[in-house]
Amino acid sequence: MKKETTYAEILESRGVNRRDFLKFCSLMSVYLGYSSTFIPTFVRAMETKPRIPVIWLHGLECTCCTESFIRSSHPITADIILNMISLDYDETLSAAAGDQLEAVRKQIIKDYKGKYILAVEGNAPTKDDGVYCMINGESFTNVLKETAADAMAVIAWGSCASFGCVQNAKPNPTGATPVHKIIKDKTVVNVPGCPPIAEVMTGVITHLLTFGKLPELDRLKRPKAFYGTRIHDKCYRRPYFDAGMFVESFDDASANKGWCLYKMGCKGPTTFNSCPTVKWNGGTSYPIQAGHPCLGCSEPGFWDNGPFYTRLADVSFLGTNSNADKIGMVAVGAAAAGMAAHAVGTAIKKNKKQKSETANTEEG
Amino acid sequence: MGQLIEEQYVWRLPVRLYHWINAFCITLLFITGLYIASPVLSPSIGEAVWYHKMAWFRYVHFGTAFVFLANFIFRLYWALFGDDKYGRFAGFKPWSPIWWGKPFKEQLKSYLFIKQEEPNYSGHNPVAALTHFLFVFCGSLFMILTGLAMYGENNPGGLTDSLFGWTVLIFGSSQSMHTMHHVVAWVFPVYLILHLYAVVRHDIVERSSITSSIITGYKHKVEECPEYTD
Repeated sequence: MKKETTYAEILESRGVNRRDFLKFCSLMSVYLGYSSTFIPTFVRAMETKPRIPVIWLHGLECTCCTESFIRSSHPITADIILNMISLDYDETLSAAAGDQLEAVRKQIIKDYKGKYILAVEGNAPTKDDGVYCMINGESFTNVLKETAADAMAVIAWGSCASFGCVQNAKPNPTGATPVHKIIKDKTVVNVPGCPPIAEVMTGVITHLLTFGKLPELDRLKRPKAFYGTRIHDKCYRRPYFDAGMFVESFDDASANKGWCLYKMGCKGPTTFNSCPTVKWNGGTSYPIQAGHPCLGCSEPGFWDNGPFYTRLADVSFLGTNSNADKIGMVAVGAAAAGMAAHAVGTAIKKNKKQKSETANTEEG
Repeated sequence: MGQLIEEQYVWRLPVRLYHWINAFCITLLFITGLYIASPVLSPSIGEAVWYHKMAWFRYVHFGTAFVFLANFIFRLYWALFGDDKYGRFAGFKPWSPIWWGKPFKEQLKSYLFIKQEEPNYSGHNPVAALTHFLFVFCGSLFMILTGLAMYGENNPGGLTDSLFGWTVLIFGSSQSMHTMHHVVAWVFPVYLILHLYAVVRHDIVERSSITSSIITGYKHKVEECPEYTD
C-alpha cells in the first residue's frame, strides 16, 4: 500500500493556491451551517487527514446524480471535490471497465477495510434474483451488499437510492428497493432529489471528511442542514400564496406576473429541500423561479403522488383513478341515497303497522 | 296518538356544549379545509402584501383546529371521569359479547327491517355508539394526528414536529399525508347525513324529542294509547 496523501498535498500538486483552498473551506462551512469559527477546523482536516477512497456504485438509475455532481457550480468546489475524494471506482467516470474495474473495487474493499465511503446512485431491483441490474455477471443487490459490508459510511445519492423514485413507482415491475431497505445494519444517509443539488452532495461528503462522521440527520435520514425546511417556507412567491393570488394556467397573465404556482400542482408545501436557497447551476435559478411548479422530486413516492400539475393527488379507489374530493362526494351521495331508501322503508313499515292495527280494531 | 309518560334528563350540559362546539368546529374546518385545497376565490387586485386571503383561511383552519382539539380532550375527560350515566365510555364495550351480542344485533336488525320492534334507548343505542366511535372518535383522532404533524412541518425539530412528526412515516411522504387528511375529512359530511337522518327518524318513529334533546337535554317516553286512535 502506497503512502497516504492528504487533501492539501493533492490540491497543491493540482495547482490550487492557498487562497482558493481557504475559499473552498469557508464555502463548505457556510453550506453546512457552521459558523465562521469552524473554518479552521475544515482547513485543518483538509491539511492533515488522508484522503478517503470513494466507491461510487450505479444501480438502476439515469446518471442524473453524477451529471449534477460533476457540475458542482462553484468551479473550485467541482475541482477540489473531484480531486480530493479519491473516486477510485465509478462506472461512469472511470477509464477502466469490466474485470479491470471490478478488481479495483475488490482491492479497495480489501485495502481500506472500514475506511472507504460507499456512495450509491440508483437502487437495487430485487425481483427475480436481481436479474434486472447485473454488473459484470453479478446482481447489483449482491454488489451493493458486498461493498457496503466494510464501508465507513453509506451515502444514498438521489431519490432512487433514498426512496425508490420512478423505478419503484406503482406497479414497481422490477421490485426496485431503496438502499436503506437492503443495507439495514448501517445508517444510510439519504440525499434525495432527482437529482440532488450538486452543492448539497459536495457538502455531505465534506462533512464526512472533516468531522469523520455523518451530518445530523432528520426523521427520513436526510441531512438537516439541507433538508430542514420546506420549499414553500423559503419560496420567494410565498406572498402571492398568502394573498390568494394564483396562476390558473401556464399562459395566463398571472403566470407572466410570477404569481403562486400552488394551483398548478406545486409540491413546494410538502417538499423539504434547499432549492430556494442554494438554487441550481451556480445559484442561477430553480424550478419555481423559472415558472414551473415544484414536482416534489426529493420526497418519497413523488411519482405516485401525481399528477404533477394538479394540487389534489390521484388516489386509486376501487381500481379507478380518483381524488379525495371525488371519493368524498361519491360517499356522501351513497349515504344520502341509502338514507332516502331507508326512509322509504320506514314509511312502508309504518303504513303496514297502521293498516294491521286498523284491521285489528275493526275485527275486534 | 300517544301519551307522554316520562321525561328524562339524558344529555347533561357538558355533553351538549361539546356537541355544538364540535359541530361548529367541524363545519368551519371542513369549509376552510376545502378552500385551502382548492382556493376558488378570485384574486384581489393590488399588491400581494395587502391581502391575506389564503393566509386567513389557513389561520381560521388552524385556530378552529385547536378549539376542536381542546373540545375533543374535554369530551375524552368527561367520557372517562365524568359523573354522567349517558355520556361515559363505561358502557361502550365492543369487544364484549354482553355489548356485541343481543342488544347490538337487535338494534341492527331493527334498522335493517328484519325485526318489527324498535328498541328504545335513553342514551346511545349500541349501533349509534359504534358509529360515533368509528366516525367521530377515530375520525377526529386521525384528523388531529395528521393535522398536528402537518402543522409542525414549518418548523422541523420544534415541539409540534417532535411530538407528532412521526405520523408522516406511516404515510411515506408529506404529500400522501395531506391527501389522506383530505380523504378522511369527507367522513364528517357522510356521518352528518347518517346522523341527521337517524335523529329525525327516531324522533318520528318514537316521538322521543331526540332532536330537541341536544338543546334542552330532555328526552321523552311516549306510550301508545289505543283508545286515542281514531
